Order: sequence, then C-alpha cells, then structure tokens
Amino acid sequence: MEPHMVQTTDSSLEIQIGSPDVWRQVLARTVPQLYGMFIRRGSHPALAEELTQKTVFDAIRRYETYEPSKGTPEQWLFTIGKNNLALEMRNRQNHAKPDSDLLKYLDAMDSAPLPDEVLERKETAELVRTALSQLDAKEQAVLTSKYLDDMSARQIGQAMKLTEKAVHNLLYRARIALRDKLIQLAPQFREEQQI
Amino acid sequence: MKKHNEQFEKNIARLVKSTGEQQIPSEHFTNDLIEEALKGLPKDQPRRQKRSTIMKPFIKSFIKIAACVTIVGALLSAILMPSLQTSKERAASVVMKYDQLQMDILYEEGYATGSMAHGGTTPPNGEDVDAMFFKTYGVNPFVDTEDDHLSTFAIDVDTGSYTVCRRYLQQGNLPPKEAVRVEEFVNYFKYDYPAPREDNFAVFFEAMPWQFGAERKNTQLMRIGLKAMEIPDEHRKPAILTFVIDVSGSMNRENRLGLVKQSLRMLIDKLRPEDKIGIAVYGSRGRHILRHTGLEDKYAILEAINSLQSEGSTNAEEGIRIGYDMADKAFVPGYINRVILCSDGVANVGRTGHEEIFKMIKDKADKGVTLSALGFGMGNYNDVLMERLGDKGNGYYAYIDTLDEAKRLFSNLTGALQVVARDVKIQVDFNPDVVRSYRLIGYENRDVADVDFRNDKVDGGEIGAGHSTTALYELKLWPEKAGKIATTYIRYKDPDTFEVTEISADFDSQQTAEGFSDISNSFALASVVTEFAEIMRESYWAKGAKLEDTLAKAKQIHTELEDNTDVNELVDLIDRASRLLKDKTATEPAPIHDEDGPQPAEIHYK
Repeated sequence: MEPHMVQTTDSSLEIQIGSPDVWRQVLARTVPQLYGMFIRRGSHPALAEELTQKTVFDAIRRYETYEPSKGTPEQWLFTIGKNNLALEMRNRQNHAKPDSDLLKYLDAMDSAPLPDEVLERKETAELVRTALSQLDAKEQAVLTSKYLDDMSARQIGQAMKLTEKAVHNLLYRARIALRDKLIQLAPQFREEQQI
Repeated sequence: MKKHNEQFEKNIARLVKSTGEQQIPSEHFTNDLIEEALKGLPKDQPRRQKRSTIMKPFIKSFIKIAACVTIVGALLSAILMPSLQTSKERAASVVMKYDQLQMDILYEEGYATGSMAHGGTTPPNGEDVDAMFFKTYGVNPFVDTEDDHLSTFAIDVDTGSYTVCRRYLQQGNLPPKEAVRVEEFVNYFKYDYPAPREDNFAVFFEAMPWQFGAERKNTQLMRIGLKAMEIPDEHRKPAILTFVIDVSGSMNRENRLGLVKQSLRMLIDKLRPEDKIGIAVYGSRGRHILRHTGLEDKYAILEAINSLQSEGSTNAEEGIRIGYDMADKAFVPGYINRVILCSDGVANVGRTGHEEIFKMIKDKADKGVTLSALGFGMGNYNDVLMERLGDKGNGYYAYIDTLDEAKRLFSNLTGALQVVARDVKIQVDFNPDVVRSYRLIGYENRDVADVDFRNDKVDGGEIGAGHSTTALYELKLWPEKAGKIATTYIRYKDPDTFEVTEISADFDSQQTAEGFSDISNSFALASVVTEFAEIMRESYWAKGAKLEDTLAKAKQIHTELEDNTDVNELVDLIDRASRLLKDKTATEPAPIHDEDGPQPAEIHYK
C-alpha cells in the first residue's frame, strides 16, 4: 500500500515544490510585468517597486500553496499582486488626505515619510527633474545611478572610477544638495505651474 | 556612528524614482529582487517533495493507523504479561512516541509552534497536550515623576528569551509574544563596556532623542549599563559542579540529550584539575550516576557523560533533590558550589506544584549552593519553569539551541560560574523638574517595591565576573528644561562576606546625544534590540512602530560592526520577523491606530 510518487516535469509542479531554476525563469518573466501593472494602475515608481517586491516575497513564502489546477504561476503571482495593490489602497483611505502644499512635506523630509499621493503628482516629478538637472553633473549621475538604475555603491564606483567610500560620500552630499535645491525651487515651481 | 538618516534617504530615493518614465523596472532591480527572493526557497528539495499535497493525507492516515496498531499491540503484550515490568514501560514509551508522531504531523500540517504556544501558567504536571509554556508579565506603563520619581528593580543577566525566539524565527515562525522578555533580548548582546579596575562595578549612561511607535513629544531613550569586574581565569575559585540532567523521553526529541552531552564535553575541556564534577539524572526515577570526581580523572567523567540515555517519564523533583544532596555532601566553603540543571523543563511525575522545589532551591542558594538552569529543546519546552528556577537559585537561565550557543555561553566560564555581586538592585531617582514621566522597558518580572530597595532581605539579581547588564528607559522630558535627569543607586552584597555596598551616579541632560547618528555603536545596538523586542512582544508603546525601520538601523550598525556575528544574526532575525509580520498583517484587517487610546491598565507582577 506504499503510495507511489508522481513523476512529472510540468513546471507548475516544480513551482509548487520550490525548484529554484523554474522559479528563476518565472520571475524573470513576471517581475517586469508586475511592475508595469502597478505603474499602469497609478502607482509611482517607488511604490511599484515596493509592491513588486512584496508580491514576489509573498509568493515565494507560500510556494507550497500554489495550486496548478487554478492557473499558471504567472496568473497566481498577478492575483497576489492585485491583492497587495488593493490592500495598499485600502490602507491609504485610512489616512488623511495630504495637503497640496509640497513645500510643507519637503521641509519635513528628514523625519517624516513623503506621502504616496505627493509622489504620484505630475508636478512633483517635474520639480525633481528640474532640481536634478541643476545639480552638479557628478551629483546628478550618482543619484540617478543609485536610485533610478538601482546600482550598488560598488557598481557605481566601478562606473565612475571612484572608491566605494567616495561613492558613499558623494551620495551623502548629493542627497543634501537635491533636498536644498527642491526646497529652493518648490515655491517658484508651483507658481510656474499655476500660470 | 556615521551621520545617516534613513528616512531622509528613503524620501530622496522615492523622489528620484518618481522621475522614471519607463513601464519596466531597472535591470538591477529585477536581478537583485530575483536573487534575494530565491534565497527563501528550501535548499533540500527531496524532503519538500515528500510533503507535496498529493501525498500528505495518505501518509498521515497511514502513519496514524500504523501507530495505533503498534500501541494496541504493545498494550496487549503488557496486559498479557503483567509480570514483565519492561513491557509496561515499553507500552508507555510507545504511547509517548505516538504523541510525538502526532506532534510531527501537526508540524507537517503547518501548525507552527508559535500558534500552539500559550501564555498559561498551568503547571505541566499531568498535562497531556504537547505545548510550550510562557507567561506574560505585562508591559510597564509610563509613570509620572510627580506620582513616583523612584524606579526600582532587580538586575537580570538571563538571555534565554532571545535564544528561544531566535529558534522560532529560524524555523520560520513568529515567536509567541509571551516568549519575549525585552531585558533578556538586550542582555544577550555584548556592549564593550570597559571593565572597572578597582570597584566591583562600573556604570555607564547614554541617552538620545527617540521616536518609536506613535508620536510622543520630547521622548528620549536612556540606557544604564552595568559592568562587573573581570576575574582572570587563573584566579577563578575552584568549582564544585553538580549536573542534574533530564534524561526523560522528551529529551530524546531533536537530539536534545545529544546536545547536552556535547555541551558538557565542551565545558569539561575548560575546567581545571582542582574542579570537581558530579552527575545526577532523572527519568522515571532520579539517581546519581557519578559521585563528585576531580578533573584529574577526566576519563571517568567522560564515560559517565557518554553513558547517558533517555528513558521513561520525567521525575524532575526527585532528580533535583538528589542533585542537591550530592552538592551538599561535596560542599566546600569558599568554592563555587553550583547545581546545573539541563532540561527541557517538562515535568510530569512528582508533586504537583513547583512551589516546594522553588523554596528548597532558594534555601540552598542562601546557604551557598546556587543553581543555573540551562534550557534545551523546543516543541514542549517550559520557559516559565526554567526561568524561575534560575531566578530562585541565584544563578541564571540560558537557553541552548545549538552547540555554538553552548560555546558562546562557556566562552566566559569564569563569568558563568563565579558571582561577584549578589542581590543586585537598582533604584533610579528621576528629577521631576526635568523628567515628566518614564517607563522601564522590560524587567516586568523583576519589579522591587521602592521601599524594599534598602531592605537587604529582599532578593535582587546576581551578576558573574565580567558580565554586564543593561536597562533602558523611555523618558518624556519637560520642554526646554535642562539639568540632572536622574541619580542611579546600585546596591549589592559581596558574595562571600554578604557585606552590603551602595554606589550612585548622576546623569545630566547635557550628556544626551543629538540623535541616532551621534551615539556609540553599542547604544545604537541596544536601542535596535529594544525596538525589535518591543515590536515582537506587541508592546502597547510599539503601536505604529515599523520593524522595517528597525531593520534599516540594524543594517546600518552592521556596516559599522561587520565582524560581529551577533549583529549579523540580529539583522537576519529582524529581516525574517519583518517578513513574517507582513505576511501576518496581510491576512488580518488593518490595525486601528489610536494614539489617545487607553494605556494598559493592568500590570501583572509576579
């Protein structure tokens, strides 16, 4: 009465038993798609990254619960992703609506998180673009490499021919420069937008 | 610490990212995420394969039927051959194994140990349900200095709670909140306090502004660190050690007894020729297996250790009594006379309450035979009993989950064995002109009445050579007031002469740091450990606090203390916990943040 093992090469089952090779292939396809889905549904890029991360970790943690009969692994990941987005939106309703005054948030950005709604405004992105373009070239490069291209300090160091320590120092200065520039430009920027 | 502001960096990162116009993430983001995520998959594929859902129900019922058949068979043979005592015992052991099988099946079904734990104080005697025992002592409230400017407690150097919770997290479960005692988390770590040269103690203060959980104004985190004098190994007093080892059936699980044996062998390598070791064991009955033997006869000791085998039920009381009898006979005044209990704390035979054992242990401790409780095992581990035994025995309580943990514990053997101060109590006298209110973080079961601080009959805590202990307070200060924050009094007895000494030290608001970036690495570490423990025990004061923020700070400390394996492990544990918590909150309704809500009204002290 020994139960016999079901031998299969179906990738759906491999997902269920946590095969890293199959998971890698699935994630390589799905991660960009998930991110795109979050962006299209109105998330700002940082939030889209956070939601993508959460979704992937949720799935990996619960890999054993994946049910092949209910759909492909990609569909399963998308379902988790959509639930996460819905949860995010629900949580957001519990908070007060943020003020329209951007400067108020920029002034407090050392100690308080910037609200997602502020980051989703078009004028915020415009302001940051303008501020970035007015920074010193090196500062601009280090900020975009780090936060837009998600490069590590080591990789940036190799690209810019700097030591890792120097990259950290440069990043430190660049962050402060950007904050000061944002605060300086914000009022004028708002006026420009209003005209 | 480097100047670094996590919140600020995160905001900058999000702002810069907001300029991205692509509908796909960066290549680095995708690759890093995939590599990081794959780490969460099991390494041992074949074992997992067995657990696939297709086979589970079938195997479970098969195991259950097989176990039942075996039990019935064994019981029948016991009944048919009543004269054969061994058959009865065999039947009992089969029943026990069936319990164990059931337990394993529960694990398989995903009923994590965390969910099985309960905070009851029911003594485990006669308890047939497999469970972990923890007890909650409540969470200290903020106290207005106008009402009570004195805060008094007994020190604690135990570390068991941290290692127990580590085990939970490493097994992929959140520990039950009752298992978290903040002071034991904090005291697990080494904080490089310099040792005093002349006095028994050195006291260290540090404070910084601290925002944790819901917004509270003018809050500071203050640390009081106490470091006992060091004694070189060659100056340690000779030790008469009596091991009382639990060899009951439950010690067979997870190779608990194997770990005890390995730990003992390691300890023996560190002892000196003039030290002596005696061993008593208890299963169904207690008995001694090695009379006190000098280390010159190491072979006989090792042989006795190797002969240990698990057996029958658990008569802890008898085992402990026999151990103390042996220790009494071998007692040498002026030496270290210590009983070391190695157990999972599960007692099912013997008298019902533990109060009698506690009383005996306390009496013996007063006469100079102290007790240390070393906890082993998980699944049906009794944390409450082990912690109280260590407390009553004027020794300490540690939990050993791996050989590395045993190594860490015995690395300062002199400190583990030789007490340099007894009945240590701390009283902090806050200045009401500067401090509006305070709360002691942790030490809930070490509370001492203010009036008993100078009552030398009231128990305090013990501290070993070179050991340190740390207490943290959250303070609410009056706005824009400066001056003395507090005077701290420390009172203790000499372990040999019982002579009482009291020392005091002041701490001034001018000595507080400006923020996380200005404090010492060791204070930074203590603050992170505190936040971690507060969140894990779901403290009222941790409402709204995010483990991710604590994780970011922990990572920052890790860059400064790269070689510190304890910190490395802490980062890993916080990371695990934060993922598990996220998972938990995702399946629960969003918590309501009510900053003006009621404070915890009921405070339970022992």
